[in-house]
Amino acid sequence: MKILGIDIGGTFTDLYLVDNVENEQTIHKVSTTPEDPSTGALTGITELCEATGTAPGAIDYVLHGTTIATNAVLESDGVETGMLTTENYRDITHIGRHQRPQNYSIQQEIPWQDDPLVERRHRKTVPERIVPPDGEVEVPLDEAAVEEAATELRADGVDAVAICFLFSYLEAEHEQRAREIVEAVHPDAYVTTSSSVHPQFREFERFTTTAMNAFIGPPVTDYMSRFKRKLADAGVDAELHIMQSNGGIATEELVAEKPVSLLFSGPAAGILGGKWRSGANTPDREANNTITLDVGGTSADIGIVADDEIVEANVRETEIGGYPVMIPMIDIETIGAGGGSIAYVDQGGAFRVGPRSAGAMPGPVCYDRGGTEPTVTDAHVTLGRIREEFFLGGEMRLDAGGAADAVEASLADPLEMDSVEAALGVLDIVNNNMANAIRSKTVQKGRDPGKFTLVAFGGAGPMHAADVARELGVERTLVPSNPGVLSAVGLSTTDLQYDYISTEFTLVADADHDEIQAAYGELVEQARTRLRADGIDATEAMTIEMTADCRYEGQGYELNIPVGADGSLDSLSTIRERFDRAHAAEFGHSFADNAVEIVNERVTGYGELPSSELVAVPEKAHDVERHALAEETVQFRVDGETESRQTPFYDRRDLRTGHVVDGPAIVGEKDSTIIVPPDFEGRVREYGDIELVHME
Amino acid sequence: MTDSHTTTTVRDQTSALTDVDDPESAIDPVKQRVIGGSLVNVCDEMGHKLTRMSYSSIIRESEDFGCALLDERARQIAETDSTPLQMGPIPAYVSGVIELFEERGETFAEGDVILHNDPYYGASHAPDFAVVVPVFHDDDLTAFSVTTAHHLDVGADKPGTCIIDTVDAYSESVRLDALKIIESGTRNDTAWQLIEDNIRVPDMVMGDIEAQISAAQAGANRLQDLFDEFGHDTVKLAGQATMSYSERMLREEISELPDGTYSAEGYIDGYLDSDDESERDLLLAVDLEVDGSDIRVDLSRCAAQVDGRPINMPFEGTVVPAVLLVIRSTLLDTEEFELVPQNHGITRPVHVHAPEGSIVNPRFPAPTIARFGPGNRLADLTLKALADVVPEKTAAGIGNLKICTYSGVTDDDEYWVYMDITSGSYGARPTSDGLDATDTLYANTRNNPIEDIESHYPLRVNRYELREDAEGAGRQRGGIGAIREMEFQTPGRVSIEGEGSKYAPWGFDGGEDGTPGAVVVEDEIDESTPRSKMSNKEMDEGQYLRTVGPCGGGWGDPEERDPEAVRQDVLDDLISRERAERVYGVIVTDDLEVDEEATAERRR
Repeated sequence: MKILGIDIGGTFTDLYLVDNVENEQTIHKVSTTPEDPSTGALTGITELCEATGTAPGAIDYVLHGTTIATNAVLESDGVETGMLTTENYRDITHIGRHQRPQNYSIQQEIPWQDDPLVERRHRKTVPERIVPPDGEVEVPLDEAAVEEAATELRADGVDAVAICFLFSYLEAEHEQRAREIVEAVHPDAYVTTSSSVHPQFREFERFTTTAMNAFIGPPVTDYMSRFKRKLADAGVDAELHIMQSNGGIATEELVAEKPVSLLFSGPAAGILGGKWRSGANTPDREANNTITLDVGGTSADIGIVADDEIVEANVRETEIGGYPVMIPMIDIETIGAGGGSIAYVDQGGAFRVGPRSAGAMPGPVCYDRGGTEPTVTDAHVTLGRIREEFFLGGEMRLDAGGAADAVEASLADPLEMDSVEAALGVLDIVNNNMANAIRSKTVQKGRDPGKFTLVAFGGAGPMHAADVARELGVERTLVPSNPGVLSAVGLSTTDLQYDYISTEFTLVADADHDEIQAAYGELVEQARTRLRADGIDATEAMTIEMTADCRYEGQGYELNIPVGADGSLDSLSTIRERFDRAHAAEFGHSFADNAVEIVNERVTGYGELPSSELVAVPEKAHDVERHALAEETVQFRVDGETESRQTPFYDRRDLRTGHVVDGPAIVGEKDSTIIVPPDFEGRVREYGDIELVHME
Repeated sequence: MTDSHTTTTVRDQTSALTDVDDPESAIDPVKQRVIGGSLVNVCDEMGHKLTRMSYSSIIRESEDFGCALLDERARQIAETDSTPLQMGPIPAYVSGVIELFEERGETFAEGDVILHNDPYYGASHAPDFAVVVPVFHDDDLTAFSVTTAHHLDVGADKPGTCIIDTVDAYSESVRLDALKIIESGTRNDTAWQLIEDNIRVPDMVMGDIEAQISAAQAGANRLQDLFDEFGHDTVKLAGQATMSYSERMLREEISELPDGTYSAEGYIDGYLDSDDESERDLLLAVDLEVDGSDIRVDLSRCAAQVDGRPINMPFEGTVVPAVLLVIRSTLLDTEEFELVPQNHGITRPVHVHAPEGSIVNPRFPAPTIARFGPGNRLADLTLKALADVVPEKTAAGIGNLKICTYSGVTDDDEYWVYMDITSGSYGARPTSDGLDATDTLYANTRNNPIEDIESHYPLRVNRYELREDAEGAGRQRGGIGAIREMEFQTPGRVSIEGEGSKYAPWGFDGGEDGTPGAVVVEDEIDESTPRSKMSNKEMDEGQYLRTVGPCGGGWGDPEERDPEAVRQDVLDDLISRERAERVYGVIVTDDLEVDEEATAERRR
């Protein structure tokens, strides 16, 4: 079995080919081609196949992580979009929740008013109305009005249409019928309905998500078909699978229906990779509890795995570019802290790092491409932690003097401290920003970060891993091999995953078990049918997860709890108790006397794909000292004091299983640098991961 | 009264522990950054817990709550990002609690939880309860962790909290004067029972109080963690340095303004249907003096207090936060000064004066529960005074809001109460149009989804849309208000506490005034009868109530508006072709293009 993972980022396209039979794994990197990312990907595939002597036709699975949907939203690069909505509710997506993004601003703009996904002229209303609690039709759909609206939208040059009716999550019939009419009138349009995108209550969020789905639908589907065609031209006949924001893989056809499910495709793959490496180093009987820290040039993405499960975001808290999106996705905390984050003294004299970034161009001062403001990377260089001969395989020139000068002029002088202190200060601040972001996903949710494994990757993650771990009291920190391409690796570890949801407000105490069982039965059948269509036939390869979003009656936020297995619903009293426990765990308090309400029924179907095998690294033959390439003076903070320490530099390729690198030490590799501070040691594990252990 | 501490007065307890003259120089700038970020992180955690645990939509959906950390002298160190009107008054609540404790000879003890809502001791108005948790370090009182929230029903003489005809402070709520509902860790069951018995929807309100307590306690615990991690004195110093930084930033901006006095005045509707002249068309006037790096705001010209009508504004809990909000949002607009934290430092350069016995500083026991609209109008007039000196940082007049309480009794004889906050709109800005259908100035709550309202209450939201042909015209046009129509599915009652149905939001620099709002009741009150308030009015099954939000004022001459921008509004059905020609002098053809020649001719 040969699996190919392709992760396309802003600068590089990473490829990862796994051959499960020969137990071979190959990594390849090419430049991203922004005008059409599939071009660069195909170049990479061809080169990779040649280098490994693989026939393109022998590849069984192509798994792809992409930022195409994200970029279409962030760069407002979608199509002219129209909307059909219920009469008297033309401006739901414009008014939103009538809240301003900023409390203390007169001059601010509101994203959905300033740059609407669907302009008011393209929001057409039609008579129809569905009402709660059972989705009864109060006003029948005026089909002639739909036809007229669709005709107008076509005449207006609209290329995509979102159909958004109130309460369609209770009864989808009107939206479906409207869709048929629009498709008949305007066959070239991309048409989508709010009940198919995410049938859950809260109209502003659902309509906005649906409008976004329409807005990016054409560019995403075009991209998919181009990619598919190029794969076919190159002789790859494996089906194309795409990573979704929920951490599962979907077929290209499903993605075409729901491109909004790709918004966090890229970072999701990284979290899967982190989970996989952590699992490989977790003793068999222990649960996988992992914090993933993916630090690139401009941002840090944080994900959480708790008890073997990747934590999903509450759909009420997910947004992109300021717009709410109501789609199941991995809970990813993104902060503006990366190697390129700029350190500066603000107009009031305070010391700040990020979120502004020097990005890839001009990049940090030390890259000597015109950057003048010191960045996090420049702070590392100033402290002697990154050296030209060990950086990016020695391929890039580093202007260490320039970095130090910038730190001195922009930070040390105005703050009246010396350059080393200023550079250490930059790292203290950026590490604290990362630690606070991790706390918001752990401590704030009742999870003790000390009991988690921190997996640090991305180009800059391994430079901050130990310091962040120390701050959080994390005991086990791992830096996987090839930390810069872990997202591509993560792709090869995923399964097919489809989410189904149905909103129904039901009090657990009044509920009829059989009725709820029947509702789940329908969702389970949809999931099974979908997986079978993807070729998952064997029962052992298919897992069906049943959960419910529940709350105490009257609350507005729901907690998701498991409610059964294999299509069979647990008893209502078990569900009730489980919710009380979950509420106590999350908020430190439960209300045993209050009624529990089921708001959404959810079913997730997983189809297992063949997984990547672990490859062991040979045992060490020599003491680690023999592999030291050089010893240089590097500055560290030890117990709050600044110390200059003689520090050996290693090339990661020389390290073998069983090697223990005492801190201080720096381990370089082609795409990253690992810092082992004086109070840490780095242990090379069986599968090549380096474990950073804090020595008390 | 048991007291585990040796101190005998609250004054001893609240003496400053580590106050230094120049805290910013005394602390390592890196530590200040790190601790400053962590303090805000703690407040955000409090907010997160409160929204998720709470019951009533007014807290969980509308986010009408606040969370903050204060030092031992009731100075706000950090806050979360919910609505300003809940966070601004928090220091006044804590000062009020301290004052009451001093008067009564009470002291704070570890494990205390204090409930407070007295508008004459710092509360913003009676429905906004504060939960105050004192934080100790080595037996010394060192900080307060506080949550505030608007409660759905507080035991007033009518359901809900939008009551416009209370006669005094006693008719507005069950009065909570610095009440220890948990004393040294032990619940005061009698107090809980008393509160519960006085509230129409106890399940929701008591649950919300529990949520407030959990959140405030979580804040106290996290603050202790920070003391452990960084050292108590360093954390306190960082708090002082953060305040000093914000103060310095504001002073720098004030110093840029020319010294002088800048004034604005305007009216509030009051009770438009009242026969008593002293209850309607009430004057509010702001005289804002810039003096070096200080601003003095004199409110002496405002109307006298209205006895027996609850539109009086508590001075510390409503008036001061309203003025401060506007000064911060203009001179330190977060669009430009994103990173200047909101804390006590912002209050130091600003001095507000209002004579006792006025509508902006009433004497006890004058009622105050419906102070929301008047307070936001006062903020609007502060904005107008500033427009005189720094127009480039301001906006034209804002549209005020209406707060509505819908209620009824179910077949099972249980009360239902639902509170709905409608939106206003912003006036036009110097370089951009006003924000449409949004909460304004000191309010920043969220509406409740239609799909949530109709699923839980016998109400139908018949319509929710922008107004058309009603914008405040100008070179930049004002924001557009929204129409929201509610129909009763079963007989019930409605109360409305609103403003802005008579006086239009002001235009600026040649911009036209906006359009007032309105309240319409099917078959009873139409738009020709200006009305902004309603007291527990009976509604029939199937009868609807329509609220119309005001449209903000325009900025600059409408005939200078870019014809293409006018055409865009025509395309969006926001204005008619007829209005485009009449008001903006822009001729839009049958093909919906701008007729450049005819427009130039018309505008000549």
